[in-house]
Amino acid sequence: MNIRSLWTATAVAGLVLSLSACGSDDGADAGDTGTGTGTGDVAAADLDLVTDGTLTVCSDVPYPPFEDFDESAPSGFSGFDIDIVQAVADGLGLDLAVKDSSFDGLQSGLSLNAGECDLAASAMTITDDRKKNLDFSEGYYDSLQSLLVPAGSDITAIGDLAGKKVGVQQGTTGEAYTKENAADADIIAFPSNAEMFQAIQAGQVAALLQDLPVNVDNAKKSDGKFEIVEEYDTEETYGLAIKKGNTALVEAVDKQLGELRESGEYDTLYDKYFSADDAAASTDG
Amino acid sequence: MAMTRRQRQRTIRMVLYAVFVALVVVVLLLVDWESVSHNFFLTEGFTGNWQDMILVAAKNTILYTIVAFIGGFVLGVLLVLMKLAPVAPFRWVSTAYIELFRGLPALIVIIFMGLGVPIAFGWRPPGGTVGAGLVALMMVSGAYMAETLRAGIEAVPKGQSEAARSLGMSAPWTMTSIVMPQALRIVVPPLTNELVILIKDTSLLFVIGLAASQKELTTMARDFMASGPSAGTATSLVFAALLYLAITLPLTQLVAWMERKQKRSR
Repeated sequence: MNIRSLWTATAVAGLVLSLSACGSDDGADAGDTGTGTGTGDVAAADLDLVTDGTLTVCSDVPYPPFEDFDESAPSGFSGFDIDIVQAVADGLGLDLAVKDSSFDGLQSGLSLNAGECDLAASAMTITDDRKKNLDFSEGYYDSLQSLLVPAGSDITAIGDLAGKKVGVQQGTTGEAYTKENAADADIIAFPSNAEMFQAIQAGQVAALLQDLPVNVDNAKKSDGKFEIVEEYDTEETYGLAIKKGNTALVEAVDKQLGELRESGEYDTLYDKYFSADDAAASTDG
Repeated sequence: MAMTRRQRQRTIRMVLYAVFVALVVVVLLLVDWESVSHNFFLTEGFTGNWQDMILVAAKNTILYTIVAFIGGFVLGVLLVLMKLAPVAPFRWVSTAYIELFRGLPALIVIIFMGLGVPIAFGWRPPGGTVGAGLVALMMVSGAYMAETLRAGIEAVPKGQSEAARSLGMSAPWTMTSIVMPQALRIVVPPLTNELVILIKDTSLLFVIGLAASQKELTTMARDFMASGPSAGTATSLVFAALLYLAITLPLTQLVAWMERKQKRSR
């Protein structure tokens, strides 16, 4: 009997210990967030980053020309979005780490809330719906939607899509635009442009409706087998998505974006990916 | 001081209980329950999405499973007959097929059939991308089912076919009327397991593109992560998970029951 009560006491002691350990953990956490959001200053220490000293960016790769794999780049990725966040990270004195993620999780805010990354840079249009679950930086790219069809197709405008299969990317503004403007089309949702472009080559869909620069890239890759027949000005702007409530990071990123535009570095990057002979060059002023 | 064996056992049990209680208490205290209920169990997600989730997505999941299972079973029977054929090349083809498709991830076969094959050969399986995806699932499950069926056939005692042959039955007649019926009874539990695996594999069809009316549970749940009343939370994933369990748990219980019954009858 003696021994049993001894063991019980030990167990209870262990339990109490473990409880007090979690208690102090919670306390430290609360303190951290307190200082993080309290100041409007943009010292890197106050940004509430997933990993200290590193700007962790999630992106749904590949989505050229915005993001693509690139072994020669320091982060392992390149593209307009990646170069922009690399410049932002440099300006804040942070390292850049890029994680390839699914667009679903990025645009629903789940990846950011789960602490997977600090920032989502994935050609993501700023919408009111998304603003419910995410904070956005200032817009950094004005995008158009577009319709890609096989060369010589009898589809020449969005009105011709009735009863035809049109490929869109699941959860994107292109999908929403198609639902609104071509409701009688057979809308097929794919996880990314990789499958979409394969599907139109395979004849599984008759057209692709998505962001213009990506369709431009598809058309270029296809040696004239596919062409863009229509562009749609949806007044969309891409923004960098940040976990809701991390105002310090939003302010810091906006400040860096402003500096990029002032210094002319933004224009250099823009011309690198959307040079004057591309159709996409007409999209931004 | 020395403990008797009994005392020592009781002490160990006590410690294990204490550890368990401590773990439960730690979990209960560590988890932010408000955040859990908001992210996983948002009521609007269930009330607002149930029609699409059950009437479209769960229905499609079941439909795709049944079609792929029947197709896979027919293919499996064909493969096992080839594998047991007296002519060697048939056996080689069957073995090669089974090894190939058991060794490949279903996702790759689905992308091949839905996107790769139509580009390369200009031939599209009937039924668009869904049709292609179902053909791919049949090809994969057929390979597994062929192996299951072979094990079942080999489990039928040799004396059965020997007795049938000595009664003057032909080899094919022996196979179809004596061996196969007994083999099928043996393989019902493992075949049901194959069915459960297929239910989950239908979630891979999302990769080759689905129209709104063709979406199965996982694709629909991914949709509702981004739009609708529970957008921005994982509630729709929980909803889909519960629906999968509602389909698979009765089946796995059925397998367990059949296995118990089979053991008893032996």
